Amino acid sequence: MIAMLGPEIPFYLVVSGILFAIGALGVMLRRSPLIVLLSLEIMLNACNLSLIGFSRLLGDGDGQIFALSVMAVAAAEVVVGLGLIVAIARRRLDLDVDEMQELRG
Amino acid sequence: MSGTFAGAWVCLLAPLAGFLVILLGGNRIRRQEAGWISTLSVFIGFAGAVGALVELWQSDHGDRHHVLRAFTWLRAGDFAPGLEITVDTLAIVMMLVVTGVGGLIVLYSNGYMAGEDEQRRYFAYMSFFVFSMLVLVQAGNLLLMLVGWGLVGLASYLLIGFYHRRPDAIAAAKKAFVINAVGDALFAMGLFLLIAKTGTVDFTTAFDAAENGELTSTVAGLIALGLLGGAVAKSAQIPFHTWLPDAMEGPTPVSALIHAATMVTAGVYLICRVHPIFEAAPSIQHTAAILGLVTLLVAGLIGLAQHDIKRVIAYSTMSQIGYMFVAAGIGAYGFAMFHLVTHAFFKALLFLAAGVVIHHLDGEQDIRRMGGLRRLMPYTHAVFLIGTLALVGIPPLAGFWSKDAVLASALATGGGLGWVLYVGGLAGALLTGAYSFRLYYRVFHGPPSEHVVAHSGHGHVHEHGPEHGGAHDRHAHAGEGPGSMLWPVGILAALSVVGGLLNVAGAWHPFTHWIDETAEALVEASVAEEYITSAIAVALGLAGYLIAKRAFDGGREIVPEGTAFTVLSRKLYVDELYAALFERPLQAASATIRDAFERPVVQGSLDRIGTGAQEASTLAGRVQTGLLRSYAFAIAASVVVLGVVFLVVR
Repeated sequence: MIAMLGPEIPFYLVVSGILFAIGALGVMLRRSPLIVLLSLEIMLNACNLSLIGFSRLLGDGDGQIFALSVMAVAAAEVVVGLGLIVAIARRRLDLDVDEMQELRG
Repeated sequence: MSGTFAGAWVCLLAPLAGFLVILLGGNRIRRQEAGWISTLSVFIGFAGAVGALVELWQSDHGDRHHVLRAFTWLRAGDFAPGLEITVDTLAIVMMLVVTGVGGLIVLYSNGYMAGEDEQRRYFAYMSFFVFSMLVLVQAGNLLLMLVGWGLVGLASYLLIGFYHRRPDAIAAAKKAFVINAVGDALFAMGLFLLIAKTGTVDFTTAFDAAENGELTSTVAGLIALGLLGGAVAKSAQIPFHTWLPDAMEGPTPVSALIHAATMVTAGVYLICRVHPIFEAAPSIQHTAAILGLVTLLVAGLIGLAQHDIKRVIAYSTMSQIGYMFVAAGIGAYGFAMFHLVTHAFFKALLFLAAGVVIHHLDGEQDIRRMGGLRRLMPYTHAVFLIGTLALVGIPPLAGFWSKDAVLASALATGGGLGWVLYVGGLAGALLTGAYSFRLYYRVFHGPPSEHVVAHSGHGHVHEHGPEHGGAHDRHAHAGEGPGSMLWPVGILAALSVVGGLLNVAGAWHPFTHWIDETAEALVEASVAEEYITSAIAVALGLAGYLIAKRAFDGGREIVPEGTAFTVLSRKLYVDELYAALFERPLQAASATIRDAFERPVVQGSLDRIGTGAQEASTLAGRVQTGLLRSYAFAIAASVVVLGVVFLVVR
């Protein structure tokens, strides 16, 4: 096993947790869809960080491969999300997620 | 020798094929083509019937009853009735009548219905009716017979209501269907009892059981009563007779085919077919005869006071079927069938000739608006006169031989019942003469009414030309009608003249002997009885003629105007009686149930379930805010809660 350099695993997890909380708060509190999308990306990358941290801890490549897949999915998700935002902008609606509540019961 | 009788199957299936072709062809078939397909299919059926007749003719005596099984139809343990048809002397007669007379009537329809909308539907129904009737008469067991019984009821309903834009026609169709449904239910109950007691619907087995006394008299009586109920309803005998006059709302060829020649005589056929069961219950069989007698007298009387040409003939039909019931009720099956056959000839003739008149006068059916048609329509006059003479029983026409044979059998039966039937039947002969000639004189003699004059002015200007074979202007009838209408009428007139020679009293009896092979007659009249009866009946028929002629010459009705005439023209108020006895109490009862139970309980509880579900979903809908952030918060909060629970519970 290769000797581990740098910080121990708890540091990675703490940073990852902080990032995830920031992202989740962003999704829940911000009203601009662009920021919500950004916050989602932060949450995804928080996960990536913990995946890679564990990968490093365990010394095999599975976590890294997972992280790569997450990045691919995130890219696809950004395409859809940005597409929605562009569509909203084209129809000259307010860029505000609280205004989009047609599916109210 | 046991033949294959392929002809019998052809006979059964050709009309079905015609029906399916027209049905599936839809608009791809032109209207006239539909008529010809239907005509052709029925005549192919007739050819098949003739083929089967020849094959049966060549069989030995005593080997003329065959049951052909296509496949086992239903299986329930030991009870496994097959899809099977009977070929015997009785069935073959009916097959020939249904397809032969039926073919002529369908041919006639080509002219009569020309220019109508929905001809395709009409001809599809006609083929369907012929098929249904063949299922009924060819059925190899009672169950299949019940199927045919129901199918002809359906075909009759569809054709009575053919003019579906006329409320009267729809009401008449419903009435016929409901009354026949009562009869069908009785028939089915008789059948169920038979199955319960003998475990079979097979004719031969059931008959053996009846003849060997395996059925108690009560059971045999109940079975016979059920079957009689079906027969009485189908044949429009009292007390189930009210539907037949109303059924005249259908097109005239339908009246000729279904409500004169074939379907309404099915009851007579049924009694002849299941005669051992009736013979095991003589009181029920005598009931049939008495119902027939009552019907023949009552219908004859009502026929004297009707003004609609078709209704007069309809009452005449009821009356003549009454004779057949008398014959079947005293066990003279050969004569019942003989009268059925000759009646099919001359009654179809009368209806079709009446149809020519109606067609010529653009749908006018009231004999008060006719008159003087003798010179304007000589051909129709001639054939109508032949039909009338045959109906009244003037020798040597068909009705003479058959009706007198029925009456002679009643005389030969003897006893109180025989004498009542005999005297009543002779009185019926007088009535027959009176109402037939009343109709004849009213339509063809006297000065033409304004209506007739208005319609004959342009009719005779046109030359006989090829144009009247197809679609023609309904106001420009060349001559008396298209050839496709006149030819069948002529053939039926010829048959009405010679048809009686199938069976000549005292000389030769090929027809009754033929029927005897299937249904052995219980009575046989002596030659003297037949001649005496003939003399009296012809005298009474002529007396009826004289009464009608004198009344007509005097310009009055046979029945004096006033209360008696009103009562008869209102059909003895039977319709009103049934309405008061059944219709209104039922309607009142259902209205009560509707208000007391249906609306508050059934509908109320359903309403409450509906509003309850609505309220619940409104509540649940509050959660659905449509706010993206609240959803995200819900997810996050759930994760936190789950995480805490996971940590604590672990």
